[in-house]
Amino acid sequence: MKVAYYPGCATHGLSKDVDIATKKVADVLGLELVEVEDWNCCGGGFLDERDEKVHTALNLRNLSNVEKMGLEKMVTPCSVCLQSHRLASTKYKENRDLRKEVDKKLKEANINYSGKATAEHIVWILVRDVGLEKIKSNVKKPLTGLKVGAYYGCQMLRPEQVMGFEPSFHPHSMEDLISVTGATPVSFPMQTACCGFPLMGSNPKIGLKLAYNVMNSAKSKEADIMVHPCSLCHLQLDVTQLKVKAEFNLPWTMPAIYITQLLGLSFGFSAEELGISKIAQQILKEKGVI
Amino acid sequence: MSEKEQEIVVKIKRFSQDKGNYWQEYKVNVDRFTQMTEVLRRIKTEQDPSLSYRASCHMAVCGSCGMKINGEPRLACKTLALDIVKKYNSNVITLEPMDYFQPIKDLVVDLDDFYDRMFKVKPRLYPDKEVLEGKAEQRLKPEDQRELWKFEQCIWCGLCVSGCPSVRNDPEFLGPAAHAKGYRFLADPRDTIYEERLKILIDSSWRCTYCYQCFNVCPRDVEPVTTIKKTRAHTRFLKDRSAVAEIGEKHIEAIEESIKDSGMIKEAEVYLKTYGVIASLTDLIYAFQNGKLKYAFVKEMKVKNMDQIRKIMGD
Repeated sequence: MKVAYYPGCATHGLSKDVDIATKKVADVLGLELVEVEDWNCCGGGFLDERDEKVHTALNLRNLSNVEKMGLEKMVTPCSVCLQSHRLASTKYKENRDLRKEVDKKLKEANINYSGKATAEHIVWILVRDVGLEKIKSNVKKPLTGLKVGAYYGCQMLRPEQVMGFEPSFHPHSMEDLISVTGATPVSFPMQTACCGFPLMGSNPKIGLKLAYNVMNSAKSKEADIMVHPCSLCHLQLDVTQLKVKAEFNLPWTMPAIYITQLLGLSFGFSAEELGISKIAQQILKEKGVI
Repeated sequence: MSEKEQEIVVKIKRFSQDKGNYWQEYKVNVDRFTQMTEVLRRIKTEQDPSLSYRASCHMAVCGSCGMKINGEPRLACKTLALDIVKKYNSNVITLEPMDYFQPIKDLVVDLDDFYDRMFKVKPRLYPDKEVLEGKAEQRLKPEDQRELWKFEQCIWCGLCVSGCPSVRNDPEFLGPAAHAKGYRFLADPRDTIYEERLKILIDSSWRCTYCYQCFNVCPRDVEPVTTIKKTRAHTRFLKDRSAVAEIGEKHIEAIEESIKDSGMIKEAEVYLKTYGVIASLTDLIYAFQNGKLKYAFVKEMKVKNMDQIRKIMGD
C-alpha cells in the first residue's frame, strides 16, 4: 500500500526518532511512505491565530502536492499536523467566505486543490488499513511483561466531528496496537488529557503541570512506560521529561515513546536503531525488554 | 412494551451531603424519540422522587441539563437515549454530574464559579452614548454579523468549562465560555469598550492550551477555542502586556517569521527568539541528558518553491 507521507517540522527536528521508527515499521509492514514533495509547515497549531486564510492555504498547498503525486491519503505521525490539515480542509469546505479568499491566494500562488486529498494519522492507517493481524504476524519479540500506558493526547481525537476515527471519550486504537506487541495495555484517567505542550510557548509553568498530571495518572495505574501518537507530545513527554521531573521534584520518571517505537521493538529492532531515549531505555532494560 | 421500545439501564452517580457519592440503577423503557431529560423525568415521577437534576427548555436553548453521559459532557435534552445505546453498543447508560463544579445534589452542580467567570468579561454590548439617547442608530454589516453569529450561540451551559484542563490548573484562566462571550463583544464594531475588553481578555487568552475539548463538547458548535485564537491576534494592540502574553506573542511571531523565511518551523531559531539564550541552553542540557541533543542539530530543510509560500503569506 502506497500513501503520501507528511512528517512535519518536529518529526524532522527534535522528534527525528519518530520519523526513524515510523519509516522502519512501515517498511516491515509493506506500507510504502512517499514523502510529500516540497511540503511546508502546517502552522504548528498556531498560525491560524495570526491569519486563518494563510493557515488554510498553506495546508491546502500540501494536500494539493499530494494530489499531484496521484495519491489521496496523506499520512502523518504528528497529531498537530493532522489536526491542522483536517481543520483547514473542513473550514475550506464549510465556510464560503473563507473559501473565496483562500481560492484567491491559491490562484495567485498557482496551486490547485480539488478536495480529494485528506490527512490521516499513522495510527489510523496501521489499525484500519494495515490491520492488527498483519502487524501481529510481524512481531518477532513479544514485549511480554511490559505494562504500557496508552496515551492519546488531544489532536488525534478532537474535535471528534472533524477527526472522526474513534470516539474521543472512549478511544481504543492505542490499546489495540499495544496488545498486538504482546505488552499489556494500561488505560488511565488522563489518557485523553492535554500534555501541556501548546502552553510551553506562553505559560510553561502550567504546561509542565499538565505534563505532570498525565505522567502521574499513568503512574497511578502502574504503567512502566507510556506510548503516544504525536511528535509534539514527544517533545513534551520525552524530551521535556527530565524538566518535569526536576520541576516537581519527582523520584520517578514515566518515559513516553512513540507508538511506532514500541511496534519497532516488537519487530526486533534495537532501542538504538529506533532512537529511543536514555530514560526509556533504562526502564526497558529493567523490565527485560531490551 | 411495544416492539419499537427498548429497556435501558441508567446508572446515576448520586450525591448528597449526608451520604456522599453513590451509584444507583434504574430501568426505563425508551423509544427512538426519548431524550435523556425524558428518561430522568420518568425516573423522578415514576420511580424515585428523591432524584435531583436540572432541565428546563428540553430544546438545547436554556443550557440547564449539562451532565456527563457515558463520560461525555453533554446536554441531556439534546441526547437521545438510543443514540447512546447505538454509539456504545450497550443498553447501560451512565449519568454523572459535570466535572470541575461542586455537586450540590445528584446531577445538580454549583455554577456560581461559572457565572463569576462569565460576568468578568462584561457579557453585554456597551453601545455609543448617542445610540443610548436615541439620537443615532447603529447598524451591523452582514459580514460582521457572520463573524459574530457563531460565537453568539453560547447558552451558558458550562460543559466546555467542565471539560477544560486549563481552568482546573490555572485560576487566572477565564475559561472557554467566557472567552467566547468576550470575543463576541470584542469583535463587535458597535461596542465602545475595546481597550477595557483587551485588558480583561488578553492575558487569559494565552493561558489556553488548545486541547480542543471545548470545541468537542459544545452542544451549540460555538468553538470557544477559535475565539481564543482570534482574541490572541489582538495582543499586539495592547500596550501593557503581562509576562504570559509577552512571551506568547514572541513565540507566535517567531513561528510566523520562521515559516515566512523557510516555509518550515526552525525549532532552534524559534526557541532562541521565544525564550532567549539562557533558557534555551537549559533545555539543551535536558535534551543532552536524555540522549536527544543530536536531533537539535538536524539540518533543517527549506521549501524549494518559496515563491508559493511568499504569495500565500502576502509578501
